[in-house]
Amino acid sequence: MASAPRSVAPGTLASETAWRLARHRTLFVNFFRRELFSRYLGSVSGFAWAFLHPLALLAVYHFIFTTVFRAGAMNGKSFLLFVAVALWPWLAAQEALQRGTVSIGGYAGLIRKVAFPHELVVYASVAATLVLQFAGYLVVLVVLALFGEPVRFEGLLLAIPLWLVLAVGVTGLALALAALQVFIRDIEHILLPVLMILMYLTPILYPLSLVPESMKAWVAANPFGYLVERLRDALLEGRLAIAWGDAVAVVVAVALFAGGRWVFLRLSPHFEDFV
Amino acid sequence: MSAPLLHLSGVGKDYAKLDTNAGRIGLVLDLLRGRGVTHAFCALDEVSFDLAAGESLGIIGENGAGKSTLLKIIAGVVTPTRGRVDVRGRVGALLELGSGFHPEYSGLANIDLAAALLGLTPAEIAAKRDEIVAFADIGEHIHDPIKYYSSGMVVRLGFAVATALKPDILITDEVLAVGDESFQKKCVAWIENYLAGGGTLLLCAHSMYHVQKLCRAALWLKDGRVERSGRAPEVCQAYLAYHEEKSALTKRPTGVADAALVAAAGYYALKSLDMHPGESLPESASFTVSGEAYSPDGRAPVVLIGIVRADGTPVYGVATDMDGVVPHPVAPNRYAFAIDFPSLPLLPGKYLVRGHVLDPEGVRLFDTLEKSLTITGAAREFGLIRLQHHWRMGDHDTAVALPDSMPDRQ
Repeated sequence: MASAPRSVAPGTLASETAWRLARHRTLFVNFFRRELFSRYLGSVSGFAWAFLHPLALLAVYHFIFTTVFRAGAMNGKSFLLFVAVALWPWLAAQEALQRGTVSIGGYAGLIRKVAFPHELVVYASVAATLVLQFAGYLVVLVVLALFGEPVRFEGLLLAIPLWLVLAVGVTGLALALAALQVFIRDIEHILLPVLMILMYLTPILYPLSLVPESMKAWVAANPFGYLVERLRDALLEGRLAIAWGDAVAVVVAVALFAGGRWVFLRLSPHFEDFV
Repeated sequence: MSAPLLHLSGVGKDYAKLDTNAGRIGLVLDLLRGRGVTHAFCALDEVSFDLAAGESLGIIGENGAGKSTLLKIIAGVVTPTRGRVDVRGRVGALLELGSGFHPEYSGLANIDLAAALLGLTPAEIAAKRDEIVAFADIGEHIHDPIKYYSSGMVVRLGFAVATALKPDILITDEVLAVGDESFQKKCVAWIENYLAGGGTLLLCAHSMYHVQKLCRAALWLKDGRVERSGRAPEVCQAYLAYHEEKSALTKRPTGVADAALVAAAGYYALKSLDMHPGESLPESASFTVSGEAYSPDGRAPVVLIGIVRADGTPVYGVATDMDGVVPHPVAPNRYAFAIDFPSLPLLPGKYLVRGHVLDPEGVRLFDTLEKSLTITGAAREFGLIRLQHHWRMGDHDTAVALPDSMPDRQ
């Protein structure tokens, strides 16, 4: 309905920056709540569903791995715990990418009528997904601990920064995918099988140590696989030491973010004609 | 002199022309490489103008002339391909009302979103909320999702939001013709008040009547370029002349058959237009134009009577709503009117008398009838009408010429 003072030509006033940030924060909060409420919390039972969903999944995995496959201990931990610590971050990243990719379409009406920074839509979508999934992750860890699994909660000191690194990288990928999706509608449909394949190529359901030497380098090169290994170190072994690889992970995540945002900002001025 | 509120120079916009998916991929690659759109349709080119605070500008043109694109560029929704746009104030845009709303969310939630888009803080939003709710006046529905609203309710809320945020520049389409009568009056009153209070208006309309009523300046867009700009009456006149020229071959005869056709379709129409004493009369004779208008909904339409010279130069025009009169019902859905010119001061020559019917809000033009009028006489003055005048030579009045005292020279 309305837009703020602005100058379209290059060289915007520096004095406006603080005002813009405040405006963007209010808008982000609005979008974030919209994303959160439209997903699970629209109904009274929605909030419960947000927590029941991970527990139901956990019960299913327990049935498959412990009851049916009778999977033995993995690195000295139960197979269920071994998988759960790594699977939730993956599900979080996968859902954030899928929802982030189609997020622009949900704001088509707004984008055609109102001037605002389109990237806020992707940030809100990814943030809402990751916040909910992280809450689910904590629920899963607590429930596993209650059932006697040796969860090392001090490992969260490292796990939380690792999730943040994940969030930065995923946001960058989501920005690029969201922008491409506006022009090329197939992205959304290609994404699901690609993510499925990537999941099995990432050491989530198996440890990196079981991968044959000849292929180990390829599997280890997967940045997400590295984060998974680090999460297991922290939450299963209680190892909190910072490694050199962590710095690389941060650099990779920031590079993904910068690259994704560059793609997004190149394409977003043309969204209005295509959404 | 202060800088203009709105400054456009050399603004242009190209839209990509795409027919294949391969083209879309090519477009994405071009955009990523920082190239422009290669297979482009130029929607707007070389548009430049300034709008100072307190001015009102009407943008006119045919469908597809680039009016919407221009308004969207000013509203910041569309990034121009070329040129420079400077906006020094808050823009309130009433473009296709309500489409910026989220259908799943309540009226209140949408008010918050609209306010957040304008950059208000949560505290400011809370302060404005009651004012907007009061203006929209849709009662308890404000708590319901927008998708359950009638279109009129969406318009009410949209107008309430766009105006309560006190824009420095108000951009509006022909949205005034939507909504019920009482709300329309409220909107028109708000806009008039806004203009009186030094507000700046950018109006996009097809109705010349509307543009001339609300805007001092006008800009005519044709095929994406500025065809003409300047004072509203002149630009509107040129635009209308262009249309008359364009439709000269298919020009409909001024007759009852056509009016009946329009009436059958459920629009306001002018059924007849009569002149007394006739189509030819002497100078300074008394002259009456009367007729009957049709209204599909039992509300009296606005009638506008105008006189133009044969070449289209306007002489005088007046509408019933300007004088605060209303056509008189003579039969169901039929309204009669008559206007007397006690002593028509037209100079000898050929003229056209035009009758127009507008909706009761005086916003949209529905029907036009035209009759030719010849004024006979031997007056040697120049121009269109005789102005009352009075020569004074030395200290003595030597001659007095007033239309009333002029003898008929037939």
